[in-house]
Amino acid sequence: MMRRLFMGALALMLLAGVAAYAHHSYAATYDTSKEVKVTGKLVQFSYKNPHSYVTVQSNDAKGAVQRWSVEWAGTSQLSARGITQDTLKINDSIVIVGRPSRVPGEFKLLLVNLTRPSDGFQWGTSTGDRVE
Amino acid sequence: MHNSIQMRIVSRLLPPAIVFLTAVSAFGQPGRPATPPDIAAEWVLQSNEDPGQIGGLGQPTLGYYLGVPFNDAGRMRADTSAESLWGTPEYQCRPHSAPHQWRGLGGARILKEEDPLTRDIIAYHIQFMRSLDWPIYMDGRPHPPAWAPHTWTGFSTGEWVGNTLKVTTTHLKDGYLRRGGPQTSDMYSMTDFITRHGDTLTAVTVIDDPIYLEEPFIQSTTYQVDVAATTNWETCNASAFGENGGTNRHWVPHFLPGQNTALNEWLKDEKWIPEIASRGGAKTTYPEYKSTLNGSVKVADLKVPMSKSAVNVSKAIADQGPRDGEVHILPVQGNVYMLIADGVNITASVGREGVLLVNTGTAAMTDKIMAAVRQIVNTTVNAPVPNQCFGVNCAGTVGWSSLFINNVIGSPAQAKPLRYIINTSAAPENVAGNQKIAASGFFPRGGGFGAAVSGVGRAAQIIAHENVLFRMSAPATPGGKEPVAPTAAHPTDTYFDEFHKLPEYFNGEAVIVYHEPEANTDGDSIVFFRRSEVISAGNIFSTVSYPVIELDKSGSIQGVIKGLNHILDLAVAEYRSQGGTWIVPGRGRLSDTADVASYRNMLTIIRDRVQDLIEKGMTLDQVKAAKPTMDFDGRYGSDTGSWTTSMFVEAVYKSLKEKK
Repeated sequence: MMRRLFMGALALMLLAGVAAYAHHSYAATYDTSKEVKVTGKLVQFSYKNPHSYVTVQSNDAKGAVQRWSVEWAGTSQLSARGITQDTLKINDSIVIVGRPSRVPGEFKLLLVNLTRPSDGFQWGTSTGDRVE
Repeated sequence: MHNSIQMRIVSRLLPPAIVFLTAVSAFGQPGRPATPPDIAAEWVLQSNEDPGQIGGLGQPTLGYYLGVPFNDAGRMRADTSAESLWGTPEYQCRPHSAPHQWRGLGGARILKEEDPLTRDIIAYHIQFMRSLDWPIYMDGRPHPPAWAPHTWTGFSTGEWVGNTLKVTTTHLKDGYLRRGGPQTSDMYSMTDFITRHGDTLTAVTVIDDPIYLEEPFIQSTTYQVDVAATTNWETCNASAFGENGGTNRHWVPHFLPGQNTALNEWLKDEKWIPEIASRGGAKTTYPEYKSTLNGSVKVADLKVPMSKSAVNVSKAIADQGPRDGEVHILPVQGNVYMLIADGVNITASVGREGVLLVNTGTAAMTDKIMAAVRQIVNTTVNAPVPNQCFGVNCAGTVGWSSLFINNVIGSPAQAKPLRYIINTSAAPENVAGNQKIAASGFFPRGGGFGAAVSGVGRAAQIIAHENVLFRMSAPATPGGKEPVAPTAAHPTDTYFDEFHKLPEYFNGEAVIVYHEPEANTDGDSIVFFRRSEVISAGNIFSTVSYPVIELDKSGSIQGVIKGLNHILDLAVAEYRSQGGTWIVPGRGRLSDTADVASYRNMLTIIRDRVQDLIEKGMTLDQVKAAKPTMDFDGRYGSDTGSWTTSMFVEAVYKSLKEKK
């Protein structure tokens, strides 16, 4: 039984590892020493591998509408946490905290935590809530 | 007596039997070892040499160049490359670059393709998770010509050297040497040495990229056989803005020189590594380099047994559009062919309705171009084909007078003549053959009556943007009466707005001519063959040089980039950002969306760098001295000839400075 559990856990780890391996490296893509907070409206939720993406429409400092692309975990990691394609709805008001892109002028974040004030839904506050 | 007969039989049969038995080995595949190591299996990655390259936990950092024999251009290219590029629409579906495939997750599957009769191995096929099928041909076929497309896996041939399979790969697209910065050009070749030792497979890869490396880069990767393994396969879910945000679908992420300040971050945890060594370079990869760290020997004075590239890169680039006085024919897709005429590309649509040419080449090549077109017509449309219709029920059959009887007697309907010429600009290499080639064609413009009038409706129609006509019909000398080009060479039908459509299908498809304003000049067009899925790009795209921007004819760097973005908007890749819509450049090899994206990126990066230097108040000479094109000069630049790097930088500078 223990052996079966161990093998199952190993398979899950490998699967998660495979799903997370894309072209790009987080360390090279995002400045992991900084955080940016964006409040806005969800306009797209792309629930997929190797990584999911959340698109948030928000006004920038000059009042111009911007579309932020927020990189989230892949489906294996999110489904293990109970998050499905229906967890987020279009037009949801959400608050994102993320690591900014290293490229100046880019509206792109690596998700650190996501909050939906309307029902208190949160990701990023529990153990293991880290994009892998 | 009986024994004597037996002895005689044996004595007569024995020699040929010995000869036969010893000759059996001669029936084997030439070059194959007596016991070929069967590399076909399911393999799992065991180890490689790159920290941060394995597993979901590994995340390669910026600036990790240890062991990379960079030249200055390679280092600059790596420093200014942004990982975010992989989130752009043209990059999201790309597979891992060829040098990284052995090192990616998901294992490797090696299959054999055999001749069913001889059992000889025609090819090995290697597949990784984020890859296309990589065929390695073992049947001795030659590598394609230099003007053939480059692909993610390239073109590979294999031969056995003892128990090692030596694989030579050419025709590779650009990509990365390692994730996190180090890039490759599209001119590198790869040699793999694949050896099986029991259940272990070792792949030693030599990457020879003289554009970015001082000497070939060598890496090895070890795999373990695993009969239970299966190679993962990944679909691509790309979207225009899905990964990089913003609202500019033509966004090209990159760092300006000096802007990427995170290159040393990883050294904070690796304090024992001298920063200078982390910057790569051939000398840093040799043990002798240690002597430079205490200052006893200067790096410049250090002698190491450096190897050299086997690629003559200038020749390899020039061969993509050879100036050899000949016309080479490359079938592209559907009705469309690419003719490489002494280095200038001409696009031809050939079918039953006749011939359409995009551009007519230089005057010296006219006869050979016309002969090449006739050759295509005679070997395709006019060529007799065996009858494939049997009996009186074939479509079109009337009684016993089958339409297909002509196939049997070898006399199919002849193709109609040249109907259209489209000029993508007024550049001499695009229009010089107009007069003679158009005269060989026929376009009935006179209708039922006018055709009888001498000179009306005889020659092929010549289509171009009206600025091409203005330039060709302008006086050759100030105040003179003779035009730049003779009247018979002038466009007969021009357009002045965004695009011009042929009024009806030609050879079964729509042909649309788009204007690309203020690109190389004010008269540039591209031509889209909508069913064949081919775009003839004219001079805004070249794989052998920087674009020729003629400021005195209203050309600009912005217009060229806009034109390339337009091509990317029209074109669609077939699979994994490869193939699909083919793009014929003005000069150079046949290309696809990935190649156009790389060229567009290069020009966008150079434009942004020059713009930044202008904003810092630099003069033209100062901008040239800053070498904003240094990492691309080995690939597209030139110090000699009619279009030098210096002229290109000046054109970029002035088009930004004066049109701001």
